[in-house]
Amino acid sequence: MKEIVTIQVGGFANYIGSHFWNFQDELLGLAADPYSDPVFTNHSLNMDVLYRTGETQQGAVTYSPRLVSVDFQVRHANAEGDFFTTDLGNYVEWSRSHASMSSSGMSYNKVASAPTDVVTWNGNVSTYAAEPRRRNLFLQRLHEEDQENWSQVNSINGGRNKPQGVIQDEDVIDFLENSVEYWTDFSKVQYHPQSLYELSGLWMDVQEFDSYGVGRDAFSWDSQGEEISERLRFFVEECDHIQGFQFIVDDSGGFSAVAAGFLEDIVDEYRNTPVLLYAVRDPGSHMIHKSRKQSISRNLHDAVSFSRLSSLSKLIVPVGLPSLSRSKASMFLGIEDAKPYHCSAVYAASLHSISLPFRMEALGPTADSCYISGAADINGVIQMLAGQSRKNWVAILDVAMPAPSLTGKQAEQSLLGNLQPLTPEIAEDMEDLQAVESMTIQGALGSGGHRAPVCEVKDTVHAAYENAITRPKFCSLSVALCPLPIPLPFPKIFSSIVGQHGELLGSPVSGSSLKGSLDVHSIPLASRLRSSNAILPFLENRLGNLQKFGTRQGAAGADLLRRWGFGKEELEEMGESISKMVMELDPNSQMSSESD
Amino acid sequence: MSLRVLNPNAEVLNKSAALHMNINAAKGLQDVLKTNLGPKGTIKMLVGGAGDIKLTKDGNTLLKEMGIERKNVKDEGTSKNLEWIEWKRIHQIQNPTAIMIARTAVAQDDISGDGTTSTVLFIGELMKQSERYIDEGMHPRVLVDGFEIAKKATLQFLERFKTPVVMGEEPDKEILKMVARTTLRTKLYEALADQLTDIVVNAVLCIRKPEESIDLFMVEIMHMRHKFDVDTRLVEGLVLDHGSRHPDMKRRAENSYILTCNVSLEYEKSEINSGFFYSNAEQREAMVAAERRQVDERVQKIIELKNKVCSGNDKNFVVINQKGIDPPSLDLLARAGIIALRRAKRRNMERLVLACGGEAVNSVDDLTPDCLGWAGLVYEHILGEEKYTFVENVKNPYSCTILIKGPNDHTIAQIKDAVRDGLRAVKNTIEDASVVLGAGAFEVAARQYLINEVKKTVKGRAQLGVEAFADALLVVPKTLAENSGLDTQDVIIALKGEHDQGNVVGLNQHTGEPIDPQMEGIFDNYSVKRQIINSGSQELRMVTFSATIIMAKLSGQCNQALIFPNLTCCRGNRLDLKIFSFSQMGWQCCAQSITFE
Ligand SMILES: Nc1ncnc2c1ncn2[C@@H]1O[C@H](COP(=O)(O)OP(=O)(O)OP(=O)(O)O)[C@@H](O)[C@H]1O
Ligand SMILES: [Mg+2]
Repeated sequence: MKEIVTIQVGGFANYIGSHFWNFQDELLGLAADPYSDPVFTNHSLNMDVLYRTGETQQGAVTYSPRLVSVDFQVRHANAEGDFFTTDLGNYVEWSRSHASMSSSGMSYNKVASAPTDVVTWNGNVSTYAAEPRRRNLFLQRLHEEDQENWSQVNSINGGRNKPQGVIQDEDVIDFLENSVEYWTDFSKVQYHPQSLYELSGLWMDVQEFDSYGVGRDAFSWDSQGEEISERLRFFVEECDHIQGFQFIVDDSGGFSAVAAGFLEDIVDEYRNTPVLLYAVRDPGSHMIHKSRKQSISRNLHDAVSFSRLSSLSKLIVPVGLPSLSRSKASMFLGIEDAKPYHCSAVYAASLHSISLPFRMEALGPTADSCYISGAADINGVIQMLAGQSRKNWVAILDVAMPAPSLTGKQAEQSLLGNLQPLTPEIAEDMEDLQAVESMTIQGALGSGGHRAPVCEVKDTVHAAYENAITRPKFCSLSVALCPLPIPLPFPKIFSSIVGQHGELLGSPVSGSSLKGSLDVHSIPLASRLRSSNAILPFLENRLGNLQKFGTRQGAAGADLLRRWGFGKEELEEMGESISKMVMELDPNSQMSSESD
Repeated sequence: MSLRVLNPNAEVLNKSAALHMNINAAKGLQDVLKTNLGPKGTIKMLVGGAGDIKLTKDGNTLLKEMGIERKNVKDEGTSKNLEWIEWKRIHQIQNPTAIMIARTAVAQDDISGDGTTSTVLFIGELMKQSERYIDEGMHPRVLVDGFEIAKKATLQFLERFKTPVVMGEEPDKEILKMVARTTLRTKLYEALADQLTDIVVNAVLCIRKPEESIDLFMVEIMHMRHKFDVDTRLVEGLVLDHGSRHPDMKRRAENSYILTCNVSLEYEKSEINSGFFYSNAEQREAMVAAERRQVDERVQKIIELKNKVCSGNDKNFVVINQKGIDPPSLDLLARAGIIALRRAKRRNMERLVLACGGEAVNSVDDLTPDCLGWAGLVYEHILGEEKYTFVENVKNPYSCTILIKGPNDHTIAQIKDAVRDGLRAVKNTIEDASVVLGAGAFEVAARQYLINEVKKTVKGRAQLGVEAFADALLVVPKTLAENSGLDTQDVIIALKGEHDQGNVVGLNQHTGEPIDPQMEGIFDNYSVKRQIINSGSQELRMVTFSATIIMAKLSGQCNQALIFPNLTCCRGNRLDLKIFSFSQMGWQCCAQSITFE
């Protein structure tokens, strides 16, 4: 077993993380449930890769994600204060006590009875209370379930009677669809107290924290980053054989600079530990800017951010389409682009399946079990994609959600054909003989709607590649029998054609609405990382903008870059390194150097 | 006067409204922080919407808490909860002036470690004073000129007023204690403050090296959620927040050699199972074995050194490594009787060497006994999943640890903030080689000096600026009195009277009577006072100048302000204006002329 430490930086990255951990939590729950499908109880995935076992001071055992999350100060529902005691439970308690508060305000007694008597000060205490957040049905339900379990454990006859006024699943789901504001709103995971770090003292609006320059100014890693790196160290120190970092950053704004600081620190401290970096964006960050000034700033941000982040990671995967809802990836989905809660669910699902090979229990180099095949570690995947004769460390993420079943004549084409990119600004139908791919298929369905055995999946995929018109130079395939479980707080985004096990029903039920976790319990999923020259437009756009607005004589954004703290040489280096990447993929490129 | 701004979203305020908006922002901040000041101040408990609680008495921490918060826009307007409105007011520093003041104050803390609250109060008070004079028709520029004169004079006065402290080989410990106690008592109840006083003074004296500036990072601050606040103590040596990772390693060792190193003792190469990299299994295995051998050799070198220095005696050997140590390496070390810790903090490499001696090595190639440090006692302490390793009984330590204990995170956070303040106060005193009488004594003295001596040397209406500045200084004693529940007028009159008779007194926070701060041992840092006076001179100029600042909040953009360079010109038809935008860089001019009627 080789551990992974996950890092999430910025708003949308944490949204994705929240769904990602909900999937893991669901897997853990299903594995522990004797009544669940054997594919969940014997998935042969080692959850210890992502999770750590710990212990509270009272001696209770805990199991929590090996995670460092950085975000703005939001009022976390379940991660403040005492170790797992001020968790969801207290949240609900507090919100109740606040909700029932009279306009004369909160009584001091109530506060004093909390575990926070002011013991260090004899003088006056004044209390400033925020209006309580609206009641979160989902978190309240979680809390009640906890209490129910608790009372069941405690009562000898284990009364199974549901308490009065139990909250219905439907209500919870409706609530989430309409009311998610923070990523903690739909999280069912208990995080370790070291996991969630909040930035404070920035004095600005979230909207203002919108560029690399702003981020770099507002948060100086050298003076403010120490606590974050200490938290990371806490998780790394425990690892016997860390295989790498799974780093998700919302690089649409100032967090890109925060992440760059963090990455520099990681490269310094854990030199040989690879970083698999997902640079993610929600559709909102792709909006078209009205003024020329804004659009220059945006273009330069994109270029600078990409250049910095890619130089600090072993493999970078840009994720996030300008409109996920209208993309081919959403063929069987109904997404609202305006809801990060929706979009992040799709990206999280793909990240989940990409991470499966990293935690497959390897039984030796050749022996595959009937549940899994194709174990690999982060370094292995990175080496394969980025470390070939052609050096390209920018990968494209593709997904088929849900993956089509393997039966029928067109199965072969449809499987490859259904993989659609989640990476923006890439070329379609580019011939690339040097392409390298790493694909993961989980829970694929075969004939009769049964789960296809691992070997059948492998054969089908190999056959598909055999018959494909364009073939990559190399493709590694990992297969897991275990599908993606759909946890309760997953959004209602499946179109009516998707069945309970993620099978595609013959005829769409006309007029019916979207389905969520109550109707769809699990889905087969295929995802793929691809090193291909299809990424060229993405690179060329960034290089072009950097030159046009930044480094060329009299460029309109030169001043801006200077204010962001970039010197001339630094910018030239950035330009050179992107143009090297372009050259590597397209030796005949015209954009190789500044030619004016 | 009318003004046409090109951006229709701009919120145009008339001249006096704009000024008042700035002043109100400053006042708002002042109101929030006012009750914090001094040993009779109020601690603040901030309860978030989800019931989470933050406690603070520190101006700096409070300001940071008032930073960014994701607002729930939908909730605005519907709220009838008074406290919520209050919360929002303090919780969203958005007005550029307020941001500017907050930044200035926090910068103050970064530089000298204290005085944030006083800075906010002082700037706020200056703004209030300005308001009064400008409302009476005084030109802001004249006022600011007066401020400048007063500031210079006050700084000169401070030089005369300060109490020099001789810092020879052995600094005067009593004076250091008094300064530390003064600052700690503004953050913690007396008994705890007094206990910490010795701790912080001894900590700084421990790390001090003659002729070198004091690096407070060499004082490690470690906390344990355990026992009570009064169990906080100074460890002469180091406390690490991790332990050994092998079941067979000793949990306690006396008389130990300490090897401080930054050497990878783990197998790092990837093991891929696809067979993609290696043409066959043997080749792959050979690679793995070779790699492993290299790691083992490094471990072996450490074991050899251990055998060299420990054979034939009962001494122990502890390895503290910044890099990783994997289980096979731990096994080897454990079998050799060595205690090994991995992934030590980067800074602890330096601290360990200062505490234990020896040197930090980056390679095991030329290990000699000279590299080793020494500790009389190394032991592990376990609290749930948290492990601590104490490296104690060291000779001549130049690094030490303040171990903070407390039953919960809030207690620990309070103590931590206070300890930081205390350490800075001691360091400042040593480096300033002087202190300043506290409890308002300096402020009253400086005010009398300005009024009685400086004002008359100034020509014209700038005198009023000097007076305004002088009166603004009084905000500190006034607020101290107010927080003690005393009548501010009485107190100020009494203090002024004493000063006029040549008695340098401050205020007794219990009775309001004048006291001699020297006798009571109430001293503030010279550099902190200096900075408070200096604070915001730049920003202040800008804000006060902008008596006619017009705020234009452009949609989605940073805040912008139109600044009329000269008030009298505004009556004309056309004018060149400067548009300043406020960003992280401070105010910057982003456009020059705008047409207006
Ligand atoms: N025993 C005392 N009696 C009267 N005044 C005192 C006493 N101790 C300290 N003071 C005064 O209290 C003021 C310092 O208060 P405090 O430490 O709360 O604020 P600050 O240093 O301005 O800001 P912060 O510490 O929050 O950064 C100083 O003016 C000091 O002279
Ligand atoms: Mg202070």
